[in-house]
Amino acid sequence: MDDFLWRAVLGAGLLGAACGPIGCFVMWRRMAYLGESVAHMGLLGAGLGLLIGINAVVGTAALAIVAALVMARAGDRTIPAGTFVGIVGHMGLALGFILLATMENVRTDLLGYLFGDVLALSAADVAAIAAASFGVLAVTALLWRPLLRNAICGNIAAAEGERGGLPQTAFLVLVALLVAFGLKVVGALLIVALLIVPPAAARPFARTPEAMAAMAALAGALAAPIGLALAYLTDAPAGPCIVLAAGAIFAASALASRLWQAFA
Amino acid sequence: MSEPLIAADRLSVHAGGVHILDRVSLAVRPREIVTLIGPNGSGKTTLLKAVLGLVRSEGTIRRRTGLKIGYVPQEFGRDPSLPMTVGGFLALFAPVRAREDALTRVGVAEARNRQLGALSGGELARVLLARAIAGRPDLLVLDEPMAGVDVAGEAALYHLIADIRDEFGCGVLLVSHDLHVVMAQADRVVCLNRHVCCEGDAHAVVRDPAFLELFGARAAGELALYAHHHDHAHTPSGKTVCHDG
Repeated sequence: MDDFLWRAVLGAGLLGAACGPIGCFVMWRRMAYLGESVAHMGLLGAGLGLLIGINAVVGTAALAIVAALVMARAGDRTIPAGTFVGIVGHMGLALGFILLATMENVRTDLLGYLFGDVLALSAADVAAIAAASFGVLAVTALLWRPLLRNAICGNIAAAEGERGGLPQTAFLVLVALLVAFGLKVVGALLIVALLIVPPAAARPFARTPEAMAAMAALAGALAAPIGLALAYLTDAPAGPCIVLAAGAIFAASALASRLWQAFA
Repeated sequence: MSEPLIAADRLSVHAGGVHILDRVSLAVRPREIVTLIGPNGSGKTTLLKAVLGLVRSEGTIRRRTGLKIGYVPQEFGRDPSLPMTVGGFLALFAPVRAREDALTRVGVAEARNRQLGALSGGELARVLLARAIAGRPDLLVLDEPMAGVDVAGEAALYHLIADIRDEFGCGVLLVSHDLHVVMAQADRVVCLNRHVCCEGDAHAVVRDPAFLELFGARAAGELALYAHHHDHAHTPSGKTVCHDG
């Protein structure tokens, strides 16, 4: 097997594993739409990062973090928070696309930013993704209880004196980091799939949030080799194949849980 | 009289130019059960949230130093996407021993390994109460803890709250809609309609004109019995007129 394929399996697998547990919180807190908009803003971040000569991932991470923190505080009464978040995200997507399209040297990579270019990961990229993934998993584990208290009922925690600011901010930063590092793997348009599909696949078999997070991490990690094998055999684009593989795991899980219920 | 656990002085809350609460003062002392009653939209939940610091308000709130609060919110959305056992839920907030004691005390110890989503309304109300007392609070704040509880269950739950007050010596601030049980268990009733309409020790409020206006003579007749102090009247337009400061 070629080296680039190993790098792709490693990079996408680690990222998928890190997306699983944080994705559970995205699901529990109904924040898929916020994640989507953060990812859209990430495209603008990539464009800005390239424009001012720093790396695209750094630009994406920076803008995604800012966007996540700002959008999470959206709450004008006459415009629903979701709509506001959508407006900001789509403006980011449109602006980012225009910015990238006007840059001669990246024009060929445009699709890569939207749908990922996992087969082009360098050894340094994989190392960066690995560091980010382990970092995200470590912080998630460290903040597990406050994050969970906030997800279950933030008002209880706040009323009883817990400061919810740190876990909330940390959560948004972690989502933004995964979005940034996911840009090269499955792209700005598909990264949220890695956040929401594995937790949905894990849900029917979990009785505790910890088990669900672990199973989601496993499902996210498994989607990488399955999707890349699919891409290898069919010559289809790799990023979308990884997302489809996650979808297949979800479908298999849903089917298995139905059968389990019917016959158990 | 002992120092209040928590005292709110002239709390006002506005949203979009509308007064949700207008200069409401309230205090809860140790071992006291203070019940907020009032029609829908009268600001009961907002008052609890303002007192707890969950919504922004004007006015002052003083807490006794080191005050430990146990809170049962009105809306506890059980999320079907979040798998969680009763035991696991309590363990997020309290050590194992306290968790077991609390579950046993409210009579739901056998529900320890069940999913939150599979509980009946009455069981959930008890589990939420168990969670709130597991941390041995000085003040219990209960917002409509009877939601989803049947009538027989309501009375039992009120007795339980009163018993817990006796055992733990905590103060209780609660919102309720069930006037009968309120009158039976509350030490002090505060009748709220954006401002404090009337308040008194539980056998005075039902005879108050403001109470009659809010709940009707029938409710008052059924409850009867209560001696208190009303410091304002209402004009036909609903404006308040103070007659004795």
